[in-house]
Amino acid sequence: MTDFALDKPGKSRRPDLMAYATLSLISAFCAVPFFWVLLASLDGNAQLFLSWPREWTLNNYVRVFAEEDGARWVFNSLFVVGSATLLVMVLAGLGGYALSRTRAWWKQPFLYAILLIRVLPPTALVVPLYKILLTLNNIEGNLVRIFVGGDTARAIMRWIGFIDGYLGLILVLATMQLPLALWIMKTFFDGLPRDYEEAAVMDGATMLQRIRRVLIPLALPGLAAAGLFAFISAWGDFLLPLILLSSPELQTLPLGLFRAFLRVNTIDYGFLAALAFIYLMPAVIAFGFARRFLVQTFSGGVKG
Amino acid sequence: MNKTVLVGLCAVTLSAFATLAQAETIRIANHGQAGINAMKSTVARIEKKYGVTVEVVEYPSPDKDYMTKLLTELGAGNAPDIFSAPTTAYVADMVAAGYLAPIGAEFKAWDGYASFYDVAKQLAVSPDGETYVMPFMLGIQEIYFRRDVLEKAGISTEQPKDWSDLLKRAAEIKEKTGAYGLLFPAGVSWGTGAFDEGFQHLLVGSKTPQLATEDGKLDLTGEGVKDVFGVYKELIDKDLMPTQPLLGPEPWVIPKYQMFPEGKLAATTCGSWCYIFDWGRESKNPIPDVEKAVGTWTIPGQAGGQYVLANLAAPWGVNAKAENLELAKKVLMEIGSVETQVSYAAEIGNIPASKAAAQDQAFQKLTELVPIHAAAENGVYLKQAAGFATVAEGVARATEALLRKETDAAGAQTILVDYAREILGDDAVK
Amino acid sequence: MVRSTYEKRVARQLLLILSPSLLLLIAFVIYPAVYSVYLSFTNEALTGAAALNPRFVGLRNYSRLLHDAKFWNSLLVTFLFVVGSAIIGQFVLGLISAILLRRNLAFKQLFSSIILLPNAAPEVVAGFMWISMLAGGENATLSRIVMFFGMTPTDWLQTFPLTMIIVVNTWRGIATAMILLTAGLSTIPKEVFEAARMDGANPSQIFRRITLPLMMPTILLYMLISAVSTIAVFGLVYALTRGGPGGATEVISIYIYNQSFTAFQLGYGAAVAVVALVISLVLGIAYVRAMKVQV
Repeated sequence: MTDFALDKPGKSRRPDLMAYATLSLISAFCAVPFFWVLLASLDGNAQLFLSWPREWTLNNYVRVFAEEDGARWVFNSLFVVGSATLLVMVLAGLGGYALSRTRAWWKQPFLYAILLIRVLPPTALVVPLYKILLTLNNIEGNLVRIFVGGDTARAIMRWIGFIDGYLGLILVLATMQLPLALWIMKTFFDGLPRDYEEAAVMDGATMLQRIRRVLIPLALPGLAAAGLFAFISAWGDFLLPLILLSSPELQTLPLGLFRAFLRVNTIDYGFLAALAFIYLMPAVIAFGFARRFLVQTFSGGVKG
Repeated sequence: MNKTVLVGLCAVTLSAFATLAQAETIRIANHGQAGINAMKSTVARIEKKYGVTVEVVEYPSPDKDYMTKLLTELGAGNAPDIFSAPTTAYVADMVAAGYLAPIGAEFKAWDGYASFYDVAKQLAVSPDGETYVMPFMLGIQEIYFRRDVLEKAGISTEQPKDWSDLLKRAAEIKEKTGAYGLLFPAGVSWGTGAFDEGFQHLLVGSKTPQLATEDGKLDLTGEGVKDVFGVYKELIDKDLMPTQPLLGPEPWVIPKYQMFPEGKLAATTCGSWCYIFDWGRESKNPIPDVEKAVGTWTIPGQAGGQYVLANLAAPWGVNAKAENLELAKKVLMEIGSVETQVSYAAEIGNIPASKAAAQDQAFQKLTELVPIHAAAENGVYLKQAAGFATVAEGVARATEALLRKETDAAGAQTILVDYAREILGDDAVK
Repeated sequence: MVRSTYEKRVARQLLLILSPSLLLLIAFVIYPAVYSVYLSFTNEALTGAAALNPRFVGLRNYSRLLHDAKFWNSLLVTFLFVVGSAIIGQFVLGLISAILLRRNLAFKQLFSSIILLPNAAPEVVAGFMWISMLAGGENATLSRIVMFFGMTPTDWLQTFPLTMIIVVNTWRGIATAMILLTAGLSTIPKEVFEAARMDGANPSQIFRRITLPLMMPTILLYMLISAVSTIAVFGLVYALTRGGPGGATEVISIYIYNQSFTAFQLGYGAAVAVVALVISLVLGIAYVRAMKVQV
């Protein structure tokens, strides 16, 4: 903690040294855990401790896919989180536009409500949420069983069920990301001049045409930001799949990782680290893309 | 979204065709690698005998996580057709919740019934007099002690006569060897262990040996309950048992898998499986010549006597909402067969509930288990009542307070009684 | 007249395209929040007779809360967790990083990328990594570091459980603090610093007299945002300690989960959840007011 002001050329190098030392320490704190996962995942004899592998191998990764259902976990995670992200982008794109352009009485209350919804802890909602999904699921299940029986019904419910089905998890994951996405899109459209739309209106374009021809192309950067944040947050979510999924066919990466870790008698760190690394990568990549939006998004609140 | 729907529809149609072609499916819940292995031959046998497909659904391994998932699904109505409960303590509550189908008639009519030990049959009877679970395995616990360590220090290895004799022995061990003298599982993170592997074994030898009253309620105010907590209190306060590891996650790892093999803990309660898995031929950290180095005592009564308390180990039941109840019950009887019992005994080290297992050649090879199986004839048991799972949690909380030296025996009993009353209501608890 | 019917139509259309979002939020957030208040007045359970026939029990769950030492413990633990990780840990390290990274240092991009990295790690992975860092025994990373300084190693998650989850959550959140505070710093005009330096103020004076006061609104907002999001942390603590040992890390979200899904008392769990909801809402309202949103 030496110089809090801006850099001045030609000043002494000592503060710089201190700055490098401090930043190096903080960076080491941030980076060391990642080293362990990376090294352990490539180590034929991985331990719980950070160590340089004596034999380098990709075997741990191979085993994730060959011995365990790794491919299915990856597919499930990508499918569920990908679908939720798409849904968020569509809904937030439309909703954000509406929130930006409307002058109706509900604009203000709705925006306040969104901010408040964001602060509700998901754990506090999970029991009633589960019961609601359960009711929906039972109604749906009975409907499905009118048409088809037993195993077929179960197979169908795996896709469209609200509990232990893809659809339920996708909808809930998407809903949890909606407030932030709506906020991002609303702010984004606020920054877009209305001239283009008005030109389109003059040309006699309908609302849908306006959205498709004018707004979607213009909104792409905003949608990218909203989508990336939705993806990162949904990708990292653990609670909802923990509560909502049980069939092995539907397991996602966080559950696969957590359950593999719980097999107390056979903790296989190389395998776990490989799985963790696979689970980590998409989030890091998405985060890399999202970086340039970070400042706008987080500081959105600050600037008001 | 369109694409999603399309992919979904395709897959639904595909899987619909795929499943239509198949035979009927029975879904079985299982958890833990050993349990899954133990069921492998049975699954194959069932598929062959009844021409059905058996789908084994793997659940999270620790009992607590398993129960969370299973109960959530039972509540949701999408649980498997057949599943097990980790211990007897959960059964009465699951019956009260309406999750289990009655199997009494089928069980009694089944040809394997006659050869079951009485204690197993009794344990399977729920408070309402009906049977809901297949009591195919018994969990039998005793005190396992390091004979080598005791002999070397010149301490008697005789069966302790009563509680005070047992406590004196533990104190003597501590004094002469420096090792911890005796461990009873305690605390919240051991799950139902505090109740299943400690508390109830002492309780059956106390002045008030049962918790369930005639009318199916719970009486936790007995003098015996306080006295049992008194034993814990003494072990903890005199530093005769390790307490720090019990407060962490996986509390059994350090005392059972490190301290005991190293001789830093000289006696602990343990199940019949311990000779094989914890310290024997299947262990990662075995004690050489374990059957000689480690001896067993049965748990003495408060004023003398010896008590072999039997518990049901992983009793299996049928989902009340199973689509084909008939078939599910038939499958359940298959799980009760001697073959499956022996397979479980070999994989997990529990004791077959059928006397006929003694004649089974594969079982005779499990020399560590044979004498314990024979002793099950004299097994005693706790009469079951709804709310036992709550009692187990209450005991865990009470012993946790003892571990943290926050209370005394009477205080621990108050914690248990208050907890049970709060959860079950005043009318269910005396 | 034509104009006004046109506007009415547009208003209807705007509401229409917002309605799917509205529907989802009502179905899966607002209704559950209201429903949890109802649940908290029942003895709803996952097993036992109450699972079959749940009853309305009035305020019994709440009167039980008042006497439940574990509940008060979880409030205290949550408070310490929020103060330790969000208000102190993340803030201090985030502020230092933000200030240092404003300078033209070499490897500036590298440093900031590394500091951002933990933010990308999913909760379960973060927990898994830190189980390794904090393991017991002399080979674990933290133990090796303290041994280098001549101190005795220990089983960190056992001996200092709460401190350790604070450290891990700090690790995860430095980036958020850094980003927000960087944004706040950039709103201070450079001339102010220049002028101060001309007047001969030293760096610590500049920090105390200029940087901090001008940053106060940003800092306040940051504190509210991070407090609220720290109350909601679940997966990280669940993966690391599950609330143990002996409730030492049982933050409120873990306590809700444990009551609902390991003690199977959904009604009682809901009562705890309502308390958590109220606390979060109060902080949320403070946040909305502090933001002075011009929506």
